[in-house]
Amino acid sequence: MNAAEGLFWLARIWLIAGGFVAALFLTVGIDRIDEDARGAYVFRPLLIPGILLIWPLVLWRWWTLESGRFDPNSRYRPVRAAHGLVAIVLCIVVLGTIILGLSVRQHWPADVAPQRLTAFGEVSQ
Amino acid sequence: MSVKYIPVQWNRNKWIYDGFMLAGVVGFLTVFLYLSPELLSHERPINPQVHNARAFGACTFMMLSVILAIGPLARLDRRFLPLLYNRRHFGVMTAAVAITHFGYILNWYFAFSSSNKYEALLFANTSYTQASGFPFEAFGLLALMCLLILAATSHDFWLKFLTAPVWKRIHYLIYVAYASVVAHVSLGILQDQQNQLFTWIFIITALAVAGLHLAAFLHERKAGDPVGNPGEQGWIAVCKAEDIPEARARIAVLPGSDRVAVFRMENKLSAISNACAHQNGPLGEGKIIRCLVTCPWHGFQYDVRSGRSPAPFTETIPTYRLTVRDGMVWVDPAANPPGTYVEPVEVPA
Repeated sequence: MNAAEGLFWLARIWLIAGGFVAALFLTVGIDRIDEDARGAYVFRPLLIPGILLIWPLVLWRWWTLESGRFDPNSRYRPVRAAHGLVAIVLCIVVLGTIILGLSVRQHWPADVAPQRLTAFGEVSQ
Repeated sequence: MSVKYIPVQWNRNKWIYDGFMLAGVVGFLTVFLYLSPELLSHERPINPQVHNARAFGACTFMMLSVILAIGPLARLDRRFLPLLYNRRHFGVMTAAVAITHFGYILNWYFAFSSSNKYEALLFANTSYTQASGFPFEAFGLLALMCLLILAATSHDFWLKFLTAPVWKRIHYLIYVAYASVVAHVSLGILQDQQNQLFTWIFIITALAVAGLHLAAFLHERKAGDPVGNPGEQGWIAVCKAEDIPEARARIAVLPGSDRVAVFRMENKLSAISNACAHQNGPLGEGKIIRCLVTCPWHGFQYDVRSGRSPAPFTETIPTYRLTVRDGMVWVDPAANPPGTYVEPVEVPA
């Protein structure tokens, strides 16, 4: 198995596990932890893609709600402190990436003869 | 706000918002595909599959740029707040456009291999150690993964289930997605641009988005909410009572970085959490109408005396005890449980 096949296999396992979690959560769990979901069924299929992608977080959150192990006031603490860090990092990354992209570009700022980056493959024409 | 969840919450304003958004997407794709192929470096013959892929890719970049510009614009100027109102629908549509781009790419460049096309996408180029010819598809894939997570967790259920702070942390992935898209373009299509127009549009747009975030951050540092001054028995001085206009609030930062909003209604004061239960929007920037303060972000409403949404809605926020001494408003920083009624305090004459 090469790396690509391995990654693809992992993705499939992740989604299959997510499918089991989705089936369990949407039929049993959601009614136990959210009163607004009781009697509401049409919206539930919309949650399936999210559960497939972040099912470990769903399990963790389900457990904390069932066990009552969370501070109810934590819901009202907005994430504001990261704004500055995000702004600075975004500026650096965007600027750096654009400069990198332009610096390795073979047709800019002046027309230069393009260089071959890799050798011909075995089946190249 | 809803008592029971429904698939999609639409109202007249959201229909209008979505209508404009859809018209913008259709307009962009039309211009890209049919009106200006020469301007966008399509002077060299390309097949419809690649043309479509480029159109949807460029549309994704522009949509992401607009989405990311809305937040800082609204912080810099309140007139942009209406654009924030239905941004989640914007995000879901962006993910749909990005998937379309991915589909065109996958089904053209990787579909004619004897291998699985998804695996072919991963192993076709593995030159990860060099900037020139870097497998820029990896950045596109990362951005797509982020956008899918954001779109898949956009329903209001997720906000309540995960809580707004956790949901917001997940949705910080939008920045990872944007940085990845910029890298995807910089090391991808930008390497092959013969016409400079697209290059300049891309550079100016990306730098404008980054610059807006920096400007909003600096603006908040300069004109942010004041920190309350601690006094006797740990109570916090927020402001003078006379400084609070009728039907409006003053916000103060409490120890531990929670924010309190002290409202004045019919010459009486009430204190509630500044964070809306929905997405932690700044309630203190809202206005009281008939005892209810309306969140400026998405219109959730609360009674400022009890921190409860009007029936049949069930959202609640914490309230705070307060007192007025020598014209100064003091708040007990220990929040009451969400939805606790506190008798309003009269402002001394």
